[in-house]
Amino acid sequence: MKILDEKEPALLKRAVRGDEGAFLVLYQKHQASLYRYALRMTGSPWAAEEVVQEVFLLIIREPQKFQPDRGALGAFLFGVTRNRVMKHLERLPREDSLDAINAHGTTWREPEDPLTPMMIAEKSERIEQVREAVLGLPTEFREAVVLCELEEMSYEEAAQACGCPVGTIRSRLHRGRALLLAKLELLRDAPRRASAGAK
Amino acid sequence: MSCEQFELLGLDMDRPDAQPEEAVSAREHAASCERCFALLQSWRELQQDLRLLQENTRFLSAPARVEMRLKQELRTRREARVPRSTVAMAPWALAAAGALAVAVGWMHWRDGSPSRIVNKAAVSNSSRSGTIAPDSPMLLAADSDSGAFTRLPASMPSPYENREILQVRMQRGALGRFGLPVAQDRAAEWVQVDFLVGEDGVPQAVRLHDDSQLDSTLQ
Repeated sequence: MKILDEKEPALLKRAVRGDEGAFLVLYQKHQASLYRYALRMTGSPWAAEEVVQEVFLLIIREPQKFQPDRGALGAFLFGVTRNRVMKHLERLPREDSLDAINAHGTTWREPEDPLTPMMIAEKSERIEQVREAVLGLPTEFREAVVLCELEEMSYEEAAQACGCPVGTIRSRLHRGRALLLAKLELLRDAPRRASAGAK
Repeated sequence: MSCEQFELLGLDMDRPDAQPEEAVSAREHAASCERCFALLQSWRELQQDLRLLQENTRFLSAPARVEMRLKQELRTRREARVPRSTVAMAPWALAAAGALAVAVGWMHWRDGSPSRIVNKAAVSNSSRSGTIAPDSPMLLAADSDSGAFTRLPASMPSPYENREILQVRMQRGALGRFGLPVAQDRAAEWVQVDFLVGEDGVPQAVRLHDDSQLDSTLQ
């Protein structure tokens, strides 16, 4: 049987015994989504990196904490990631924006874009505005937006990930959207108002 | 659907997990209400921006250094595990060694305690040879102790590395069966004897412990 076909609990057992190949299969499968979630929630590549590292260190050092009969490994890893992210957000203010991604040496690359430099600049500005607006949301609303809009989870999946009822997720998402709309309206109208005032 | 309900549920109409009835009634409401239609338009613009952000970060993953650190941790733990497992085996090894020592001690005790061995052998040659009595108490003591033995009469010399030493407690008179002269008046005495046995199982040499007084035996 190929290593990729093995079930995750079996792979985890092998990984804990020191099988690097088994560990890498698990790591490669889960790390990116955990990293993106942590990055979108914290806005800090350093924090996201640290969170992902801590999550996988935990699974290496204390594998008994994962109990296959209580759920999939992915759900367990997400739960641990979420706890670490929440602790980070409680402990520290937002450190730096996602602009710094390249400077921090992550694997992010500018996607190839056939747009003109003007359009690229405009697009970058819009992305930056929405990124700032998402990061400015209160944690629980931000999480609902990140999971339901950016990670494209269904309400049920998001509710399961957050350990709350579907109704709570819907309500948080509703509030999050309303806040985002208000923030972006403010951000986008401010330059318009300024230019109108200058005339 | 009212405007309040639309604010709560209407923006979900484009989601794949939206209730079909809710989506239909939200569309109908947006078509008939300017304010809610404007809200829907604003939300769709925001959704486009969120898609841009999503696309922009879709291929992000943890830096390679995280993988390297984790692999290092795995290797460190794997290396640390080797001595630990040795330590874990030590009690078993000690227990096994203890049991063996007790068993050997008990056998020694049962067969009578062996006395100090000395190289005191002056055996005269004789033409007869013999074998050890099958009911004599015997103990395989060592396989490399080749200290001064006296060759038995008619035995063939062979390399020492292929021979073994048997410790035997026997009556002095039995030595006569190996071609050794025995004083008849002491034939009933018990003595401790080491035999050097060849690969073929035939004794080749003999030595008596100091308290066995081989010299006096061979008178």
